[in-house]
Amino acid sequence: MRTLTLAAAAAAGLAISACGITRVSAKPGQIVAIGAENEYANVISQIGGRYVKTDAVMSNPNTDPHTFEASPSVAADVSQAQLVVQNGLGYDDFMSKIEAASPNSKRKVLNVQHTLGLPDSTPNPHLWYSPGYITRAAVGIASDLSALQPSHASYFQANLRRFKQSLAPLQHAISAFARQHPATPVATTEPVADYLLTAAGTHNLTPFTFQADVMNGVDPAPQAIKAQNSLLSGRKVKVFVYNQQVTDTMTQGFLKLASQHHVPEVGVYETMPTGYNYQSWMLAELKAMNRAVVTGRSTARL
Amino acid sequence: MHGFFASPAVQLGAGIGAAVAIVAATLGVFTVIRSQAFAGESMGDIGTAGGAGAYLLSVGPVLGFAAATTAAAAIMELLGVQRARGRDLVTGVVLGAGFALSALLLYVATTDNTTSGTTSTVMFGSLFALRSSDLALTLSLAAIALGVTLALFRPLLLASTDTDLAAAQGLPLRLLGFAYLLALAIAVALAALTVGSILSTALLVGPAATALKLTDRPLRAVVYASVIGIGAVWLGLVLAYDSYDWPPAHHGWPASFFIVALVLCAYLAGGGWRRWADRRAA
Repeated sequence: MRTLTLAAAAAAGLAISACGITRVSAKPGQIVAIGAENEYANVISQIGGRYVKTDAVMSNPNTDPHTFEASPSVAADVSQAQLVVQNGLGYDDFMSKIEAASPNSKRKVLNVQHTLGLPDSTPNPHLWYSPGYITRAAVGIASDLSALQPSHASYFQANLRRFKQSLAPLQHAISAFARQHPATPVATTEPVADYLLTAAGTHNLTPFTFQADVMNGVDPAPQAIKAQNSLLSGRKVKVFVYNQQVTDTMTQGFLKLASQHHVPEVGVYETMPTGYNYQSWMLAELKAMNRAVVTGRSTARL
Repeated sequence: MHGFFASPAVQLGAGIGAAVAIVAATLGVFTVIRSQAFAGESMGDIGTAGGAGAYLLSVGPVLGFAAATTAAAAIMELLGVQRARGRDLVTGVVLGAGFALSALLLYVATTDNTTSGTTSTVMFGSLFALRSSDLALTLSLAAIALGVTLALFRPLLLASTDTDLAAAQGLPLRLLGFAYLLALAIAVALAALTVGSILSTALLVGPAATALKLTDRPLRAVVYASVIGIGAVWLGLVLAYDSYDWPPAHHGWPASFFIVALVLCAYLAGGGWRRWADRRAA
């Protein structure tokens, strides 16, 4: 009997806390949408405009999304959502678990990996750093929203056109960087910004195995650390790009070495920092890269 | 082997590893004689909480490990771990509470903090990722544990092998037991720094158990165990360094795996030698 009472009390407590932290409060007629990461939520709200209430699961720039675990409040949000956008590639597997736990046949789930048709073996999961990928994700979001509210389809398509146009300055900046600084050698800690770096025509001299180790929280081998050190101390790279949200003692060591040898540092963000939208965020990081190459100035935070 | 001795990470790992191996071997011999391997294992597991806490507070891991294992020793003492009856029960209760605290702190460390590899580093060690700022503290702790154990060597040995005789001689048994427990806490914390909190018991008990198969004389066993421990740590370091070129290429295997595997090999070889020697003597 006592266990039963305890169990009932625990269940009641769970129910209360689950209700208490639900953040979604959509106006009547609004689509409830969730972006697993705040950059996807940002794109949803740019396309959905006034007809969509968007929430982001991961928006704390101080958390490493790779190690994020979902809380009951996220589960409650997902159970109400009509559209969920998630990255895929194992980056936000917890979303699939939550969706499976609260099945809803009317809910649309846009997995960006699947939209892009990328295999599970794709090594770099930071897909949103590719403006081309984010455009294709935006197209998928617009068509999902149109299917959910066919009466506002033209509104969503107009917003999609506007979104694509607003990416033009970023596209121009990328091609200008690639033209003005062809094959710029760079070093990185993690593959966070690698899609952007590749688009900008840079040559990332840090081996991918090293970047993957840091991303996965494994200590790289001494040989790998030595190779990375020599990239900085030998000034073989023009910019040191590091994940601003994951800085451990090893990264601190690289930063110190980079400053000693006057290699400019650029901190990049894994999730969208506050005060930015997707376009302005990417543009700001590219400008920081450009500033580093042209003037040798470092940018630690946006 | 290319660049092995020139690597600062290797130098630091080899130096700290050797000091830790000596302390673990010395305390390990007493742990085996006193049949308190479970207490040592539990302290290591509880050390997990300290390691995670150290990450959260951004202090060196050795401080966290030592704080947690010392606290565990004190609580075990308070709850009466020295009475042979119920000793495993007390250890088990403290172990359970320690694991619960570890679960909480590791959860906080991986979700709210920015260090993604905390869990694996704390539990399974990272000999190549030691911080040179921890060197002084590590060596001081090693000196304290070793000094206390060697100073109390004779009385502690008697108390461990023949409690009745020790009591008849008027030795302060409880005080000796507590001094041993505190020195053990330090040894476990240091071993956790080298091979991780979960694997620390392997470095503590393995070389000592092997040495006690080779000799019955405790002081000689301490020397043998130290040599075995240092050998396992150094050879483990070499293999871990060379594994950089093994599949999956350019990741390297964890040093703790090699060290613990080598300790096991030494134990099996020691057992084989003992059987062979016994048969020859018979």
